[in-house]
Amino acid sequence: MKDILLQTAWSPPRQLSQSQHQVQSTRDADFAYEQSPDFIDEVYDTSGEQRSHWQYLLSSMASLGGDAVADRQRKALRILRDDGATYNLSAQPQARRTWGLDPVPLLIDSEEWSGIESGLIERSELLDLVLKDIYGPRDLIRHGVLPPELVFSHAGFLRQCQGIKMSSGQQLILHSVDMVRNVQGQMCVVADRTQAPSGAGYALENRTVMSRVLPSLFRDSHVHRLSMFFQTLRLKLAALCPNNDDIPHVVVLTPGAYSETYFEHALLANYLGYPLVQGSDLTVRGGFVWMKSLDGLKRVDVILRRVDDYYCDAVELRSDSQLGVPGLLNVVRSGRAVVANPLGSGVLENPALLKYLPAIGKFFLGREPQMDSVGTYWCGEDNDRQYVFDHFDDLIIKPVFRRSDEHSIFGAQLNSEEKTALMARINAKPMSFVAQDYIQPSNAPCWSKDGLLARPLVLRSFAVANPSAYTVMPGGLTRVGSKGNKIITSSQPQSTSKDTWVLASEPEKQTSLHRDAGAVISESADQGMHLPSRVAENLFWMGRYAERAEASLRLLRTVFMQLNSVEPLSPIARNTLLNTVTRVSTTYPGFTRTDINNAEAIEKELLEVILDENRAGSVVSNLQAMLTSSEEVKEMLSGDTQRVLNDLRDALAELGNALRLGLASAPEEALDPLVTTLLALAGLNHESMMRGMGWRFLEMGRTLEKSYQMTSLLQSSLVVELDESDQAMVLESVLLSFEMLVSYRRRYRSRVEVKSGLQLLMVDQTNPRSLQFQLAALKEHLQGLPQVDRAIGLPPEGRCTLEALTAVQLADLTQLVACEEGTYLRAQLEQLLNRVQELLETTATLISDKYFDHQTAHQQLVTDRWEDD
Amino acid sequence: MLYRIKHITHYEYDKPVALCYNHAHLMPRDTDYQHCLESHISIAPYPVSVHQSSDYFGNKISFFSVENKHSSLEIVVDSMVRLNGERIDPGIDLDFGNTCTQAREKMHSLQDETTLLAREFVLNSPMVKTSDALKDYAAPSFRSNVSLLSAARDLTRRIYTDFTYDPESTTVATPLYQVLEQRRGVCQDFAHLAIGCLRAQGFPARYVSGYLETLPPPGQKKQVGSDASHAWFSVYSPGEGWFEFDPTNDNVPAEQHITTAWGRDYSDVTPLSGVIFEGGDSQVLSVSVDVQRLQE
Repeated sequence: MKDILLQTAWSPPRQLSQSQHQVQSTRDADFAYEQSPDFIDEVYDTSGEQRSHWQYLLSSMASLGGDAVADRQRKALRILRDDGATYNLSAQPQARRTWGLDPVPLLIDSEEWSGIESGLIERSELLDLVLKDIYGPRDLIRHGVLPPELVFSHAGFLRQCQGIKMSSGQQLILHSVDMVRNVQGQMCVVADRTQAPSGAGYALENRTVMSRVLPSLFRDSHVHRLSMFFQTLRLKLAALCPNNDDIPHVVVLTPGAYSETYFEHALLANYLGYPLVQGSDLTVRGGFVWMKSLDGLKRVDVILRRVDDYYCDAVELRSDSQLGVPGLLNVVRSGRAVVANPLGSGVLENPALLKYLPAIGKFFLGREPQMDSVGTYWCGEDNDRQYVFDHFDDLIIKPVFRRSDEHSIFGAQLNSEEKTALMARINAKPMSFVAQDYIQPSNAPCWSKDGLLARPLVLRSFAVANPSAYTVMPGGLTRVGSKGNKIITSSQPQSTSKDTWVLASEPEKQTSLHRDAGAVISESADQGMHLPSRVAENLFWMGRYAERAEASLRLLRTVFMQLNSVEPLSPIARNTLLNTVTRVSTTYPGFTRTDINNAEAIEKELLEVILDENRAGSVVSNLQAMLTSSEEVKEMLSGDTQRVLNDLRDALAELGNALRLGLASAPEEALDPLVTTLLALAGLNHESMMRGMGWRFLEMGRTLEKSYQMTSLLQSSLVVELDESDQAMVLESVLLSFEMLVSYRRRYRSRVEVKSGLQLLMVDQTNPRSLQFQLAALKEHLQGLPQVDRAIGLPPEGRCTLEALTAVQLADLTQLVACEEGTYLRAQLEQLLNRVQELLETTATLISDKYFDHQTAHQQLVTDRWEDD
Repeated sequence: MLYRIKHITHYEYDKPVALCYNHAHLMPRDTDYQHCLESHISIAPYPVSVHQSSDYFGNKISFFSVENKHSSLEIVVDSMVRLNGERIDPGIDLDFGNTCTQAREKMHSLQDETTLLAREFVLNSPMVKTSDALKDYAAPSFRSNVSLLSAARDLTRRIYTDFTYDPESTTVATPLYQVLEQRRGVCQDFAHLAIGCLRAQGFPARYVSGYLETLPPPGQKKQVGSDASHAWFSVYSPGEGWFEFDPTNDNVPAEQHITTAWGRDYSDVTPLSGVIFEGGDSQVLSVSVDVQRLQE
C-alpha cells in the first residue's frame, strides 16, 4: 500500500525528528559553500571550480542575506502548512507532518537535462515494452532473457491481468525514476516506480511555493515550467477513454485520508479538475464503473489510481481489500473502463529487473539503454547470491516486492550476528531479495542556521505517456538527506525536499494548465455537479460536529463564569445549568447523576466534558471528529479554510495545557480561541465556499445541529419553572452563552423574563440563532437539493422540516410559558420542543438514507485467506 | 468417449444478498486429448452480465454479476466433452525417461520454452508452500536413479495408502501442513500434498480440477447427481511433457477423468468465487454433479 516516498537508496527515514520544521534563524550567515572532500558535488566540478549555472543563484542568495533567506524559508513553511501539504507517517490524521522544503533549489543545466530526458524517455518506452510482454506473450521468458522465476515469483505479477490491454498505445502511463549522481558524475537510476508513482504533486507544490517566496530569483533564473507535464497527463487520460461518448469522465482513486500521500491525491485531483474518490464511492453495475453521486450513478471511464493494484478489486485480487472496487478488473478486461497505471504494473517495480535492463534493451531495441542503472544482484541467482554474501558491506539489500514492513538494509551497518540472520533470511527465500551497489550520492547546498551545508540528494523525476512517446517533467522532486556523512543512517532522520530547477537558456513561454487548454478543460465542466455521496456526507457531518462543539463551548464558557461569579449561584440554578451542559453536549449521565455535588467533582466532570477524547460528546471528541471529516473533503476546502483548520488544530493542542491547572482561574479564556476559530470557519464557509451541493450539505449539517442544540438548551433550561431569581439567572446564562444578553436588555429594558427570552430564542426572525430562523434556513437548503421528481411534491424530509417550522411559527408564547395546573412544568413548551426534536431526528435520518451511501462492506462468497503471507 | 456433465451449484441465503460479483471455472477446457464440444452456463436469478474469457492458464472462466436482491443463487453448467483416447495407457510401465537426477538437472539446463515456462510450477503458490516436512515425506519415492514418472507414481500410491479419505476432516482453507500431520483429507488435499512433495523435490507440478465418472455397483442403476467434482495433479518431466496422477484413487487418469481447468493450486481454479454485499451470513451450499457416458 505504501509508497515510501522518503525511502530511497540512501534513505532511512521512517520517523523524522521533531525539530525538522523549526525554522533556523541566522544573523550573519555564511554563504560561502564548501564542498565536502569525499563527495561529488552539484555545485563544483572535479577541479573544484564552481559550475557556471550555480553562480547566479548563489550570488543572489548571498546578496539577499541570511536573515532574508531565513524569512523566506519561514514563509515557505507557512504556505506549505496553510496548503495542508503533509506527508502522513502514521495512520493518525492528527499526526501528519508538514512537508519540508529547502529554499535552495537543485539546479540542473539544460544541456545535462536533455541527456537525462532522452535517457528517461527511452527507459519509459523500454519498461512499457516489458509490461506488454509480461502480460502478453512473455517472450522475455521464452527466449531466456529473463529468468522465469524473476517474474513468476514476484508478488506484483498479477496473473489475473494476463491479456488485458488498453486499446492502443502505451500501457505504462506514468513512470517515475529515482536517480543519484555516481562518482563518475553521471545520473544513475536506483529505482523505478510504475504502480502509482507519487511525488509529482509534491514537486508541483514545491514549485508553487518557491515561485511565491523567491519570485524574482525564480523569474530571472529561466526555469523550465512543470505545467506541460500535467497538461500531457490530462490529455492522455482523456484519450484513454474507452467509451464512445462526448465527455470522458476521469476520477482520481485514493485509498483515503489515512494514506501517507493523501495531500498529493487531493492536490492532483483539484489541479487536474477530476473528482477525488475512494473505492466505496465507485460501484460496478451492468458491466460499467459508476460513481455514486448525489444525483445518482455517474459513469466513470478512466481511473487515475493511487491505490496499489493488488487492492483494487476484491473479486479477483486481494479479497479482503475494502480499498478497491469489486468487479473493477473485469470491467477493465472487457474494455469499458481504463485504469492508469494499469492493474499489474507493479511487476515492473521489481528492482531485480535493473540487472537485466541492458539485455532487455538489446532484445527489444537492439541496444543497451542510455541511462545506467545501479549495479544490481538478484539473490535468486546462485552466483549473485554468493556475491552478495561476500560483499555485504558495499551493498544495500532490498526486498523485491515493497511492503510497508520491509525496508532497505545497509549491509555496512550490520554486525556479524545481524549479517548471519540476514543470510538465513535470504537463503530461505532467495528470490525475494536483491542487493544494489551503494552509490555515494552527490551533495548540494542546503540552507541551515549555519549557512549553506552540503547534503546528499536523490532526484525523482516523472514521465507521462503522450500520443507518440513520453513527456518528462523538467525537474522533479529532490529529496535531501540529513548529514554529509559517508553513509547516511536511519538514526539521522532529518530529511527534507527541494524544488528542482532545470535552467533554460532563455525565458520560456508561460503555459499553465488552466489557461491554454480550453478544449481540454471543458470536458470536466460538469464534473463539479457530481459530488460523490461520501463527500456530501462528510461535509454534512463536518457542519454538525462544528456546531456541536461550538454549542458546548459557548455554554461551558458561560457556566465557568457563573460558577466563579461574585454572587454565588443558588444550588438550583447551578444544578440546572450543569444539567444543561450534560444535555447539550450529550455526555450522559454526567450531571444527571446525583453524586456530583461538591466543587471538586463538578470540576472533574466539567474538565472531562471538555478534554476527554474518548467520551462521546466531549468538546475534544467533537472537534476531532470534525477534523477527520474535514480531511475526507480536503479537496473541497479553500486555502483560507485550511489555515483556519490548522489554527483549530493548534488551539486544540493548546487546550490541555491551558486547562492543566484545572478551573481555578478564568478557565473560560482557555475556550475563547476555539470559539473564535469555529466562528472564523463558519464565516469562511459562508463567505468563500461555492454555492454548490457541497456547501448545501455543510450548511444543512449546521442548521440542523443548531436547531437541535437550541431545542435541547430550551428543554433543560426553561421547561421546568424555577422561582424568579433562579429562573432569571438560568435564562441570563443562556442568553449570555449566545452573547445576546446585551441585545436582550437593549430591547426589553427589563429583568429577563421567560416569555421575552423565548421570543428572542425561538421565534425572532431577525435573530440568526433563533430556532425559527434556523429551521427556515434548513427548509431552504432542502429545497435546493437534487430531486428525482418535483411533480410528486414535498419529499418526506421537506415535510418534517416544514412541520417543525410551522409548529414553531404557530406557537402561542403565552401558552408556552404557562405551567400545567398545579405543577412546575411548562407542558406545552415541552411538547413542542420534543416534537421539533423528533422531526429534526427524522429529517437527519431521511437525508442520510436518501443521499448517503449505505453499502456495507462486502464479504467473500467462499471464505478463504490464502493470500496472506 | 463422449460425456455429458451437468454441474449444479446452489446457494441458499438466510438474509437476501443485495449484489454479487462472481467468477467461475466450471466449463471444461480443451486439452491435447480432450475436446469440449459445447458448454452452457445458466444462472438464476438472471444475471446482469455474463462474460466468458480465457484465464492466464488457458482455462475457461465465466464472470457474472447479480445486481438485485436475491435469496438464492443457482448456477447450472451443462457440457459435452469428448476424450479422444490418446491420453495414456493407464497400465503403462512408467519406468522410462528422465531419472530424478536427470530431470532436476534438465530443469536448469534446458532452455526450450516449455521447460522455461514450466519453472513457474516449481515455485510456491498461494495454497501450496514447500517445507522440509513435505520434502522428507517425498524423499523415499524420489531416489536419484528412479525415473521421475515411476517416482511420481510411487508417491501417488503412498498418499493413497498413508492417508484416509475423510470429507469431515478438512475445509477449503485447511493448510497443507495440517493435512500432512493428520493424514486425512479429500481429493483437493491429496493433490496439493503431491504437488507440495514434487515442488519440494524440485519438480514442476500443477493442480488439475475436473470430474471423475463413477460406476454404480454391478447390477445397480447409477443415481443422478451422485458424482462429484474431482482433483488430481500433473508433473512435468523436462523434454517429455506433463503426466497426470490421481492420488485419491491411486491411478493414472485416462478415460474416466474429465479435465475442467488447471493451475498452480486450487486457488487458481476455484469453481466459483466472488464477493457478496449484505446478507448471505448463513449460506447453505449444495452441489450436484452428474457425469453421464453417452458413447464409448
